[in-house]
Amino acid sequence: MYEGIRSPVIHAPKTLSEFAAIAWRYPQATIWAGGSYLMSQSEYYPSEIKDGIIDLGGMEELKKITRNDRFVEIGSMVTASQLLSAGKLVLPDILQETLRTLASQIVRRQVTIGGSLCVPDVRLSLSTTLAVLDAMAEIKYYQGGKVSTHWIPISKLYDREGKLLLGEQKALLTRIRIGLEYGDYQKIVTVEDPIRSTDECVIVAFQAKRSQNSLNKVQFCITFPSKAFHISKDLESKLSGMTLPIHPERVNTLSYELVTELTKMHSAISDLQLERGRRIFESFLHELNAKSLSQ
Amino acid sequence: MKIECTIDGKALSLSVNSNKPLSLILMEDVGNKTITSHCKGNACGNCIVLLNDEAALSCVIPAFRLKDATIKTFESYQKTRQYRDIERAYQATGNTPCPNCFASKTLIIESILQDLTSNTRTKSFGTNNLPLRMEQTDEEKLDKKAIILELSLNTCQCMDMSEMLQIVEIALTYRRRKRVRRN
Repeated sequence: MYEGIRSPVIHAPKTLSEFAAIAWRYPQATIWAGGSYLMSQSEYYPSEIKDGIIDLGGMEELKKITRNDRFVEIGSMVTASQLLSAGKLVLPDILQETLRTLASQIVRRQVTIGGSLCVPDVRLSLSTTLAVLDAMAEIKYYQGGKVSTHWIPISKLYDREGKLLLGEQKALLTRIRIGLEYGDYQKIVTVEDPIRSTDECVIVAFQAKRSQNSLNKVQFCITFPSKAFHISKDLESKLSGMTLPIHPERVNTLSYELVTELTKMHSAISDLQLERGRRIFESFLHELNAKSLSQ
Repeated sequence: MKIECTIDGKALSLSVNSNKPLSLILMEDVGNKTITSHCKGNACGNCIVLLNDEAALSCVIPAFRLKDATIKTFESYQKTRQYRDIERAYQATGNTPCPNCFASKTLIIESILQDLTSNTRTKSFGTNNLPLRMEQTDEEKLDKKAIILELSLNTCQCMDMSEMLQIVEIALTYRRRKRVRRN
């Protein structure tokens, strides 16, 4: 049926050094994690794949989850389903909630953490949550025969439109690291499916520490899957140090400040998405107020 | 690329492009009649198969990941005893999915039933990472939110979600009764 299209060569490295050798010999090869994003592209098959496919499925060192007193490290080939079953001891609540709502169990078994973070043009809820949790990603760059390793904060992996910023050289995300000190208020809300309704979807993640009725270490990220990946340092610093409850008028003002900021920086966001984002942000502050009043 | 795998109980050696999706292999190379469309990434959820006994979307599984795999499509699944539970639930409620999504929805329900009844499999789909049962003490309480998330994988609108939930609940009762009788 598809005559003239050659079957791509499958390279199956077992270790990172084997991967380095293959990446050097076949610089154009496509790196394959879970494959759910690559295969859901309409032009995926039949098409010519230059230099073949590097299948990461056999690399055991990318499938480990380790934890110590300070942080958790998760290999990039761990699936969403495996990570979710690691449970409460290893994962903060917000990450568990993100994984649960990421997709159905059938899809979660296939989606890998590294694959989800390295989707080139659409930002999903996992990137949003990990940015809020201040997670770091270990990226290995392969140039010529040399390998260099960098730890990059997840929030710096993407540009403001949410596009992946790994540069021109061959790069591999090998693991992520999440610190175990996080706020006692964590929340993620995803409205609409980021894959099926990309143009209407909004993802908002928020975490903060509350001590004696004041907010500390506020971290907040709002994502519009194919349009924007927004972290407002200005709003974060305004909120940090505020005393709870925040006056409803102030909540309203802050939420409109967010809208102004988003409109100024990202013109592609629709009015519906802006309003959804604003209301979700407001609801977090109202919930914080309610919690502080009920204590 | 040559791939050895078992499809619907038959050991096959297939010569296909290494990146060809399983759904296309089933349609074009095996001649399976239960998978009728290839949505090319539109996430329609109409191509569910059981890959090594776990439900999977066949349109996102490439040929090179099928080495020595066991694939069960609806064609062979409908001859099994497990299918009887779901078929009886369809009859009991008087609702059946349309012919387009019948195979897929049935296999999704089977996957949910397996997760609800299996003791040995890792259960990770309900609230707080618990199985779909809300509380272990109360078997009747199901995490409906998690079940709806599973069922919504198939986008066909032929049935209401409450009807689908009812089918799952009834099929689960039949499955449990069968297990009790066997024990």
